[in-house]
Amino acid sequence: MKRTLLLPSVLLIVIAAVAFRISQPAGQTIQPIVFCNTGQVHTMDPQQMTWIQDIDTALGLWEGLCQYDPHTMQPIPGTALSWDISPDQLTYTFHLRHDARWSNGDPVTSADFMFAWRRILQPATASEYVNMLFHLSGARDYYNALAAGKSASFSSVGAKAPDPWTIVVHLAQPCSYFLGLTAFPPYFPLNQKAMQPFMQHDGEGTITYDPLWTHPPNLVSNGAYQLVDWKFHQYLDLTPNPFYWDHKNVHCARIQIVSKDPNIAFLAYHTGVIDVLSFVPPDFTYQLLQQQEQGQRDDIHYVPVFGTYFYYFNCRHKPLNDPRVREALDLAVDKQKIVQDVLRLPDKPLNVLVPPNMISGYQSPAGLSMNVALARQLLAQAGYPDGHNFPTLTFLTNSEATAAPHARIAQAIQAMWKSELNVNINIEQMESKVFRQETLNGNYDVASGDWYGDYLDPTTWLDLFRSENPNNIARFSNTQFDSLMLRSDGQIDPAARMATLNQAETVLVQEQLPAMPLFQMSDGLIYDPEKIGGIDPNIRFLTLFKYMHWIN
Amino acid sequence: MLGFIFNRVLQSIIVIWAVYTCTFWLLMAAPGDPFVGEKNPSPQVIRELQVRYDLDKPLYYAYAKYAWNVVRHGDLGPTISYPDWTVAQVISGTLPVSVALGALALLLALWMGIAAGMIGARFHGGGLDLGLSVATLLGISLPNFVIGSALLMIFSVDLTWLPSGGWGTFNQLILPAFTLALPFTAYIARLMRSSALDVRRADFVRTARAKGAGEARIEMRHILANASIPILAYLGPAMAGILTGSFVVEKIFAVPGMGDLFINACLDKDIPVVLGTTLVYTVLLVILNLLADIACAWADPRIRLQ
Repeated sequence: MKRTLLLPSVLLIVIAAVAFRISQPAGQTIQPIVFCNTGQVHTMDPQQMTWIQDIDTALGLWEGLCQYDPHTMQPIPGTALSWDISPDQLTYTFHLRHDARWSNGDPVTSADFMFAWRRILQPATASEYVNMLFHLSGARDYYNALAAGKSASFSSVGAKAPDPWTIVVHLAQPCSYFLGLTAFPPYFPLNQKAMQPFMQHDGEGTITYDPLWTHPPNLVSNGAYQLVDWKFHQYLDLTPNPFYWDHKNVHCARIQIVSKDPNIAFLAYHTGVIDVLSFVPPDFTYQLLQQQEQGQRDDIHYVPVFGTYFYYFNCRHKPLNDPRVREALDLAVDKQKIVQDVLRLPDKPLNVLVPPNMISGYQSPAGLSMNVALARQLLAQAGYPDGHNFPTLTFLTNSEATAAPHARIAQAIQAMWKSELNVNINIEQMESKVFRQETLNGNYDVASGDWYGDYLDPTTWLDLFRSENPNNIARFSNTQFDSLMLRSDGQIDPAARMATLNQAETVLVQEQLPAMPLFQMSDGLIYDPEKIGGIDPNIRFLTLFKYMHWIN
Repeated sequence: MLGFIFNRVLQSIIVIWAVYTCTFWLLMAAPGDPFVGEKNPSPQVIRELQVRYDLDKPLYYAYAKYAWNVVRHGDLGPTISYPDWTVAQVISGTLPVSVALGALALLLALWMGIAAGMIGARFHGGGLDLGLSVATLLGISLPNFVIGSALLMIFSVDLTWLPSGGWGTFNQLILPAFTLALPFTAYIARLMRSSALDVRRADFVRTARAKGAGEARIEMRHILANASIPILAYLGPAMAGILTGSFVVEKIFAVPGMGDLFINACLDKDIPVVLGTTLVYTVLLVILNLLADIACAWADPRIRLQ
């Protein structure tokens, strides 16, 4: 008895106890606001991040030259107190505030920005958002030269620091949304002194940093919060940065960022373990919105966001290389019905690609409305009367329902195309990474697509369809569209530029249809408005932790 | 005994190498690009990322280099999806969670299973035995996610006795450990019952009775001790099953363990993480099986003599 069972039992108890102790979170006394995402935080290096949960956290930890206004998401002074813009819109002179401090007490100076911008422009940093820096004159050439193994000097890049409190930026072309970009992670400053111990040379002159530099207590940031604890796969703990210039307006003593499966997170929210959900569980969005409508709850904060859902057409594949065919397919789809009966959500059906009425000064084109008779006519003109001889199209979609129930939408559209045009499609679902690779390689006829804008400008969508864009999934190439885009690049007058962009989008959504718009996406947060304040659900769907606080 | 251990260790090394080779080439053959994400980075950036992870070179180079780094430096490499963390850090952060959960589940399975098996054998053919048989059949047949969700509904949502998930307090351990333990409990119970029935009819039990030994002494000292040897042999495979089977339970109860990490890594095509976790799982399983074999040899003189 002793021999056979007691020893294994004791061993198991000891193993369980020790392993449990090791994996337990550190004890804390301050009650945090627990903020839950659906995905893990991937990185705290502002130059590597692309995921929204990473960006949300970075916006709490860092502050760029500008920061976002919590209501309008327009850029307002951040680390820069003020700036001057030259009449040709090409030179920005930023004046830094003298009281800006890093979380280790160091002053934030222009050198910190130069250090960061230089680092992101090193090909070895492999930043996915590096193209946001290409607005600086000479930056693209500098990056390409380094990538080609040639030597290049950072002094050729249009970013200068004449003194510790001044930054002069020269743009390659006028960019009406440049100030907004400076509030976004790729433009954030970095503290060179804190990163120095983690520097690694590879012997060929390439400098990289041991990723340990982002782990607390090594990470030094200049925003409202500092990162004090990060237990992988469990949580990140943020406490106010005591040296932050606006410290007196930061009112939450501790924020904990966690991530969970949507349904489990929703349960945890109901038992009070989680205070804010950065999403509405897709399985019950409809029911929750119904309850809210009937006055049974007031914690669902559901808003339209700066993102659209559409279908790409592969413009190189027959018969989709004929714009008439693409137009016919678009005209035969009842988008209202998709939103009402398939999604059952208050999302807005769309006939354009750029979300309307969200970018100041931009007027969306009208787009095409459903017209089955015209669709049949166009299809007949293209040589497929009543769908005769029309090949079966391969439709690819993502099997992981993240933004929308891809498969159900596809089935509805499959039925519409079949009944209205006698066109058949084969729906193929694949996991995310495979789906993205296949669409990027052009191995599809029709594919679902969704896009969230990175900055408040139509080009964040329209650039997707430029011929020279290597990520032009639709393989669309149209000289009229390209020349309109090129013209807008050089236009200084904002109104004239927006008018050109309107023409460009008109080409896309009324004549060429490289993609079929379906609806504008909405997204929501869940939190008790009587318990938590300072969250303002906005179109960018970014939560600014700086303003979040308990109400008591 | 030493020769026996030496042999087994040699076999284990071959097993680990074979698993590494299969995993590596299957991963490389699987569709999907780890660097293609939400925002589709430029080809230049993808090239830089491939250089960083040695994926720009011929595959056999990456195959050999990774193996060399693991053997020579114990370095499992950097992760792709979590660039701030190395595979070793990621595993050391999540493995203790899975181990704590697994060890507790196994302990529960062991004792609940033995108790149920002993009772079943003691009251062989009676109502209690029948009830336990039905319960164990259910335990084996019902999948984890059904049991887990049911327990969650009852104890967390309706009764609100226990938290719905997460990690950190002992309360949060109870439901996942119990869910994870149930199928193994059922299996152990069946094994124990049949083993105890056999032992019960053995000559030495009759002798003990004839000597006038008390009923409790016979049950504990003679039947339990001898009948539990097959259970010990099962502990190795059970640990393997619990460790690799825990990801469903980890998902249901939001336990931040290695199973969840492993699944996400597969979906993200995070090659180093999949390789690293697979290797760690393999080494663990091999060691556990080895230990179970040694334990059996040590507990049962008949095996030792062979």
